[in-house]
Amino acid sequence: MSAGLIPIRIADDVFEFKVETPAQAQALASYLREDLTAEDVVAGLDRVAVRFAPEDLDHVTARLAKVKRVPTAEQETGPAIEISVKYGGEAGPDLEQVCEALDLTIDAFIALHTGNIHTVEMIGFTPGFSYISGLPDDFAVPRLDNPRPRVAAGSVGISAGFTGIYALQAPGGWPLIGRTDAMLFDADRDSPFLLSPGQQVRFRAT
Amino acid sequence: MMTVTKPGLQSTLQGPPRRGYRHLGIPYAGPADPLSHALANRLVGNALSASALEITYGGFAGEFREDCSLAITGAYGQILVSGMAMPAHTTLHLKAGDQIEITQSEHGMRAYLAIHSGFEAETFFGSGSTYLPAEFGGLDGRALKAGDELSANQSAVFASTLETPPDYRPAFSNAVGLRACASAESNLLIGQDRALLFEETFIAGRQATRMGIAMTGHKLSPNSDGKMKSAPVFPGTIQCPPSGIPVILLCDAQTTGGYPRIASIARCDRHLLGQIRPGDHIRLLERSPEAALQDSAAKQKQLNDWLLT
Repeated sequence: MSAGLIPIRIADDVFEFKVETPAQAQALASYLREDLTAEDVVAGLDRVAVRFAPEDLDHVTARLAKVKRVPTAEQETGPAIEISVKYGGEAGPDLEQVCEALDLTIDAFIALHTGNIHTVEMIGFTPGFSYISGLPDDFAVPRLDNPRPRVAAGSVGISAGFTGIYALQAPGGWPLIGRTDAMLFDADRDSPFLLSPGQQVRFRAT
Repeated sequence: MMTVTKPGLQSTLQGPPRRGYRHLGIPYAGPADPLSHALANRLVGNALSASALEITYGGFAGEFREDCSLAITGAYGQILVSGMAMPAHTTLHLKAGDQIEITQSEHGMRAYLAIHSGFEAETFFGSGSTYLPAEFGGLDGRALKAGDELSANQSAVFASTLETPPDYRPAFSNAVGLRACASAESNLLIGQDRALLFEETFIAGRQATRMGIAMTGHKLSPNSDGKMKSAPVFPGTIQCPPSGIPVILLCDAQTTGGYPRIASIARCDRHLLGQIRPGDHIRLLERSPEAALQDSAAKQKQLNDWLLT
């Protein structure tokens, strides 16, 4: 980090740090969660937000002022999980448009998407929603102008160089390329989340 | 303890928000109007965040199988106990066999029905609050249906009869002013847009849900390429998608989002969001974060004189 980390006030009860990578955001958030009295410490892809109760303003201000740089943390990398995806059609209504924008045939897109090893960078949005990196940088497809009021569970989208998987039915603005049957979130499982930051993923077309 | 005979449009069990799990993508949930929820619990001697019923647009009816002390607050029309009109903001003592009915209010959107000892709810990540999109908490993670049987945590009979003091009874109308602060991407509002956001009246959109309320009537043009990296959002965050129609996030807000965060409703006024109906007028009143937090402390102190005594 260059100029050091300075928290920005983004609400009356929220401070936020800007960092450079998802791994840095995860590392800084885990570090802050260790000893900070806050309501929530949440990592974005390049941000870490701290929401606090009004009575903790002084404690939080003092603690955040002591953060000079992002702590180093190693992300775990186990074996890659395989996730089967039905690309296009009703399961991925935006695939054709995405391919047009990227100037690729659908087959070429699927070959690229299934050819790489991807990495889960963040869980967020709704329970189990996974932000997965591993697409070429020029795959920066913008989000939809009008978010859909309802996106089906298991839907796979791409946006801003990431693959995203909707673990649950939810409103959403990512262009959808396909759908998986993988249970990303299951309240009845001991560990309700299938994926966690650092996990490697390989997609397979069905 | 109570059988639901008419569930209304959307009735759910709501207790405390699920704090501390947003990094796992788990939203808060909890009551959309936490002040009215706390006022109801206060009247039946409960912890202020105990599990109570959130009723949307009235239309709710239930029948009691056991004696029960309850209280109703928030947005209610008529309250009928076995056909007799009864007051809100008052502890009511019902007998086994009594029926309760709550009709739609003229203004506001959600009523709260608390019983002594609280309703039994399925706990998930530390709270029994219902989160409908992922179907957890409450009763099977869903809105109540006719025929559902709700249980009390313990005996629902409370020995005292309390009334909310007149000064503490919220009144709802079709127009609301909300204190708000600039947020992380407010600088993307250029030219007239910032003045528009804080000086014009917006209209609540047709879909006012526990997740968000669209602010229609004026379109903004944030200077964004639509490729912002997903960043943390909270209840109160106002996002602006490329459509130019800002959306205020509520209690069921997702944990991160990729649209510019152009403002944030101040903590002290977030409870008002749960009573905004489609078509209501919304005015944002700009405050500095310091001033907004002071307002929050002052409001909490005033409320505590009733809620915590």
